[in-house]
Amino acid sequence: MENNTYTYQQRIDALRATKLKHTQEKWDYIGVLDYDDYALILPPVEYREKKHLVSASGLEITDVLYTKFVPKTNHPGGGFFGARICGENFGKMLEIHPVYIDPFSSLAGSFMMILLSYRDPYWNPDFNFSHLENEHKKYKITLHGIGAAQHFCHDMTIGFELGWKGILDKIRHYRTLNTDEEATELYDGLEDIVSGFQNWIGRHAVAAREMAAAEKNRLLKQNLLEIAEINEKLVSEPPTTFREACQWMLWYQIAGKMYNAGGSLGRIDQFLLPFYERDITAGILTDEEAIFHIACHFIHDTSYIQLGGPDENGHDATNKLSYLVLEAAHRLKIPMNVGVCVGEKLDTQLLRRGVEILFEDKTGIPKFLGIDVTSKDFTKNGYPIELGRDRVYCGCNWHAIPGREYTMNDCVKLNLGVVFEVAFYDMMDDKNTHPSVAELWKRYEYHMSRAVDIIAQSMDFHLDHMFQVFPELHLDLLCHGPIERGRDASHGGVEFYNLGLDAAGLATVADSFAALEQRIEIEKRLTWQELTDYLKSDWAGTDGERARLMMKKAPKFGSGGSLADDYAIRVSRLFTNYVIEHPTPKGFKILPGIFSWALTVQLGKDVGATPNGRHAYASITHGPNPEPGFRKDSAPSALAVAVAKVQPGYGNTAPMQIELDPGLSRDEENIEKLMSLIKTHFELGGTQINMNILDKQKIVEAHEDPSRHPDLVVRVTGFSAYFASLSPELRQVVVDRIVTSE
Amino acid sequence: MSSTALIFHIQRFSIHDGPGIRTTVFFKGCSLSCFWCHNPEGRHAYSEIQFVASNCIGCGECVYVCEHHAHQLKDGERFYSRALCVNCGKCAQNCFSGTLELIGKRMTVKQVMDEILRDSAFYESSNGGITLSGGEPCLKSVFIRTLLEQCKQQNIHTALETCGNYKWDKLNSLLPFTDLVMMDIKLMNPDKHKQVTGDSNKRIITNARQLVLTDKPIIFRTPIVPTVNDTIEEFSEIVDFIEELIELRLKRGKASTNDANIQLELLPFHQLASDKYKHLGQDYKAAQLIPPASEKMHELAEIAKKHAIDVKVR
Ligand code: SF4
Ligand code: SF4
Repeated sequence: MENNTYTYQQRIDALRATKLKHTQEKWDYIGVLDYDDYALILPPVEYREKKHLVSASGLEITDVLYTKFVPKTNHPGGGFFGARICGENFGKMLEIHPVYIDPFSSLAGSFMMILLSYRDPYWNPDFNFSHLENEHKKYKITLHGIGAAQHFCHDMTIGFELGWKGILDKIRHYRTLNTDEEATELYDGLEDIVSGFQNWIGRHAVAAREMAAAEKNRLLKQNLLEIAEINEKLVSEPPTTFREACQWMLWYQIAGKMYNAGGSLGRIDQFLLPFYERDITAGILTDEEAIFHIACHFIHDTSYIQLGGPDENGHDATNKLSYLVLEAAHRLKIPMNVGVCVGEKLDTQLLRRGVEILFEDKTGIPKFLGIDVTSKDFTKNGYPIELGRDRVYCGCNWHAIPGREYTMNDCVKLNLGVVFEVAFYDMMDDKNTHPSVAELWKRYEYHMSRAVDIIAQSMDFHLDHMFQVFPELHLDLLCHGPIERGRDASHGGVEFYNLGLDAAGLATVADSFAALEQRIEIEKRLTWQELTDYLKSDWAGTDGERARLMMKKAPKFGSGGSLADDYAIRVSRLFTNYVIEHPTPKGFKILPGIFSWALTVQLGKDVGATPNGRHAYASITHGPNPEPGFRKDSAPSALAVAVAKVQPGYGNTAPMQIELDPGLSRDEENIEKLMSLIKTHFELGGTQINMNILDKQKIVEAHEDPSRHPDLVVRVTGFSAYFASLSPELRQVVVDRIVTSE
Repeated sequence: MSSTALIFHIQRFSIHDGPGIRTTVFFKGCSLSCFWCHNPEGRHAYSEIQFVASNCIGCGECVYVCEHHAHQLKDGERFYSRALCVNCGKCAQNCFSGTLELIGKRMTVKQVMDEILRDSAFYESSNGGITLSGGEPCLKSVFIRTLLEQCKQQNIHTALETCGNYKWDKLNSLLPFTDLVMMDIKLMNPDKHKQVTGDSNKRIITNARQLVLTDKPIIFRTPIVPTVNDTIEEFSEIVDFIEELIELRLKRGKASTNDANIQLELLPFHQLASDKYKHLGQDYKAAQLIPPASEKMHELAEIAKKHAIDVKVR
């Protein structure tokens, strides 16, 4: 028997090295990944196959199929639709999923396949929405929400309380109370999933015992035996220790990824706290161990979490565990999605620690949440402040009330650049109109409202049918209502419906309006017709290039006190007010946000040349951010003021993306300055900050040759990722942001 | 007519010019002409054309608008003659490629205040404020007095970054509205001072001695420049002078406290300004200098520390 022992840090390093190896394999096999690092592991070589599909966020994704899994279909045209068959297929997937246990980890499990990838077609053609498609095309609304999965949040405490047997009992109990066809089908699906879970977990327990028997090292052997014991229990019982809770959580979270790429998690420092406190008091857990278990979770799950924040009465709920989770992130230095709450009554030490880590690790982790603003703004929708405080950060740019709110967050995007372009040519093609900025604004207003209307109708259509297509079986299990009512969360299962709609390309539009007013109407340097010709030719020739630069040089949104600053506020207000005043035809509330996710490149491909001097099909601007280089000094304070001013302000966010001078040294003074930058942005009304302090040299090198820095992590937007896994185009976006922000 | 000043940049989120998050206003014109100057845009008290040839797209607009024929395009070659140029700025107004820019904009106090106030929330949260820099801000003492006065009315912390080379009255008249003075001490030898900065240090030294007799917080700043002041001997002379100033202040007897409220900051010479010289058509005499290594900076800082001076390397 080997007696080598390993420290927790050595074990974390080993796990990290394995993760890097898996990631490298993914790059080699799949290629570019312009989205969150899902922590997916490739299936065994002999059983893998590539597949291309489009994600809920509208991104083209290359996915990997596990060829041993062949889903059943229930439609003549192929595909599988409805709760019963989705449950059956997912249960099956869990049952055949290969076992994964790393002897260095305290937790078992990882995932190799996503059911979403096997859906073909993704939407049931029987539910035809061709009546919406003309206008989808006209406004290039590709992210209309029809078929959008997950993007709301479960309540982990339900699972911690019941365990799998308890959940099964609950389903069986309510099955006797709700006997209509919709409920019965849902229960069938849910039961299949639960037994899939039990099988999956149970097989890991068996495998862990086998591995333990063969293991030569005493410490690892002991670890494997513990894994076996824990999972033997978790097949049916709820967790009682901190480590068990982490294991339960990991199973549930990775299954969320496997079902429909879900990634919400929420307030981990709250729902794990009772376990932590109990174990600490009982003397069976140390802080070092707690950090280690948390790290073992995050090696295999990149879900979105909130740290700190108020309790429902507004008192600071930051606790010891908030710091330990942050510490785990610090030790891991892998892509993670950790949001640190900042608020008037909150412990600023957590913010300070977050900023220190940002300086030290240079991985864009953590991000910061203006929790006072988001929770208070949410009350403008008629909700009590307690609900606002309970609305946790749990996705890229978004919050949701755990287990009680269906949100479609980050799934529905309106490209304001397209709306602007439609309005512009609508005006220029109208021979009976004399073009002017006022006239253009009028038409912009009209087309924006049409586009929002069509999105609202699409959302209704989605809510009418999603449960018959691809219900939220996984999240339903841990929500308040779906089981009790026999209704999927997308179909009346939960209490609240607040549907997120994000605008994209704000600065592209604001700068365009301002440049037109400045150069055509005030300075009279060119005519509407000349400009239109330039746009149509994409600024061809020297004259075109001069015109482009002239338009581009007009003062930009963010410069402060400019026309463009005014337009940005107007564009945001117009969108916000219209969305708030117009729920869907069926009466569902829509909440406005401004966020383009990682889609600036892709959304830009839908927009021809614009009057802000932008080339045809180039990227649109990022979320509520000004264009890079918006001021000579690119002052972070100017950015923070500008972004705070365009917030929609109803509880959904418009996150500020900020790249800071990598030369900024990590001294006490700079930490203080950064803390006050963050705090002040939130005091001014900002909602979220995604921040990178990067090593420019390293980024430029990695852009030229990604293999030089395979472990370089950057915050792309709401999510962080390995820089090397991004497409050259998206890498360029990140590089541009840094280079122009000096 | 309200008074105006020529300003070449207003930098928001300035974090190296005094405490907290600041806005730094850069004035044009200086009473010294240090050959290594890091802000060559600040030297001349007039607007001037910045010319970045590599940005030119050859549109010909500048040739067309310049009445002084300072621009020419011949066979695709681009010529600009500073000798003919009167810095009227017309060409820059019509050049959008970033080739031609008029450095130095006339601004009223109100215009500058508007810009300053945009970041007032940050001054408050970070104990920051504004810094007037340049060039030499005190050459525009009437203008900046009004500016400082208005900042104080708004409760904004004010700092002056100055070379100290002018009559004491100028600085003295500004002190009631100034919370922090940052004054350069570059060299103690008056002849060499004249040789490298264009003027003797006589007034600077007098002003420094006057300044410590007030109770304003002071940061003395010394740019560490090879061939100028980076030898132990030359730097030690500066340290001795600072020590003398501290004693002077303490002796003067606000002596309930031992704290003289005097700091010394050492700023390493760097080469980041070399392009600016080129673009402004100024002769850059420091092109061959090699920036001091960080060890060197800390070695010098140690000397100051030995004399119990509160010193920082920037
Ligand atoms: S106006 Fe500017 S871009 Fe055009 S030729 Fe002159 S310098 Fe070049
Ligand atoms: S600044 Fe005036 S004089 Fe000088 S080149 Fe331009 S237009 Fe001619």
